[in-house]
Amino acid sequence: MNKCIDTEIQEMLPDLLHGSLDDSARRQVEAHVATCESCREILDVIRTVKSAAVFAPTIDVDRVVRQIPPYRMIVPGVEQPARTKLVTWLVAAGLVVALVGGGSLVISKQQTPAPSTVGRTQPESADVNVAAKPGNDSMPTPAPKTQLAPASPRGLALASDIEGLSDRNLAQLMDDMDQFDALPAAEPEPVIAVDSGDGL
Amino acid sequence: MTPSPESRPEETDMELINRWKAGDSRAATRLVGRHSQALARFAASAGEREGIEELVQDTFVRAFASLDSFRGESSLRTWLFTIERRLMLDRRRAERRSRETVPVQEADQVSEYGALDGLIAEEAQERVRESLDALSPTQREVFTLRVQQGLSYKEIAEVVGSTEGAARVHYHNAIRTVKEFLKNE
Repeated sequence: MNKCIDTEIQEMLPDLLHGSLDDSARRQVEAHVATCESCREILDVIRTVKSAAVFAPTIDVDRVVRQIPPYRMIVPGVEQPARTKLVTWLVAAGLVVALVGGGSLVISKQQTPAPSTVGRTQPESADVNVAAKPGNDSMPTPAPKTQLAPASPRGLALASDIEGLSDRNLAQLMDDMDQFDALPAAEPEPVIAVDSGDGL
Repeated sequence: MTPSPESRPEETDMELINRWKAGDSRAATRLVGRHSQALARFAASAGEREGIEELVQDTFVRAFASLDSFRGESSLRTWLFTIERRLMLDRRRAERRSRETVPVQEADQVSEYGALDGLIAEEAQERVRESLDALSPTQREVFTLRVQQGLSYKEIAEVVGSTEGAARVHYHNAIRTVKEFLKNE
């Protein structure tokens, strides 16, 4: 028996048995098989194997379907359970409390005057002046007046007791207040309001 | 007159999937009924001897759980075969680990399947089973998917994670082996 070399036909033999060829291809394969002993033999093998595949157990369809959960139970996000929503709200509320509480603590700490604060007013101003020196390469050199302006309200805010100020600090404070008057009214007003309760 | 769902012409798999997503549980029944026996046959042909029904059930549960990822680029049956094959591989790996034996190679698996034979009643079926046992696992998968399930090489390549060319080579080697085996019996 000669071996068939028409691999295209051989590859279509399973499709012939499964009935998945169109009419034209089916007629072509059938005509070839009628004259080719090798392909007839292969077709017999395929037919035998195909018909012998009966040893698989019968599947209980209802039993399988019972194990399949409904679509909405599988896909998240369609409708979240109430418990999930509650947990989400509790977490959000906790975050808000933590943020507000933490923020309040920071603000109250900034507003509480420390005994050494007044003493630090001068060095801070000095630091600003140092930073503004031309020798500092990393900083641009602004005009002295605009450099001191932001420090003035801070100095006022930190001065809890005016009697504790030295003459030099008092003079500095007065200078700061002069500069403060030149600032736009909108910005320093809240600072003054806070400090006024501290006895200034 | 509108035909009732039962009297409709054969619905496609995608139509049934959409019906199931819309809440029609009968669509799931029809899908399982349409493909379950093919999955059982594939499992049996691939060498599974026990727990085939559980395997088919797990395949459907997994498939329905991830139906949103099924785009319909291949047929649903091909996709189900792919899932079932992964489950079979997982199961075999778990069995190997539980036995704590040397990892089973392809040649070992062939003899393992032969030793588990016993469900085939008729002589012709037994001969076919023995001829399939003479194939490597990949050859057997490709051959049964092509001959018993009628899948194309492209679909087979998708199921076994290979190429169409490799699937062709496996098929031709397999049919030569099976033919020689049956001839010599």
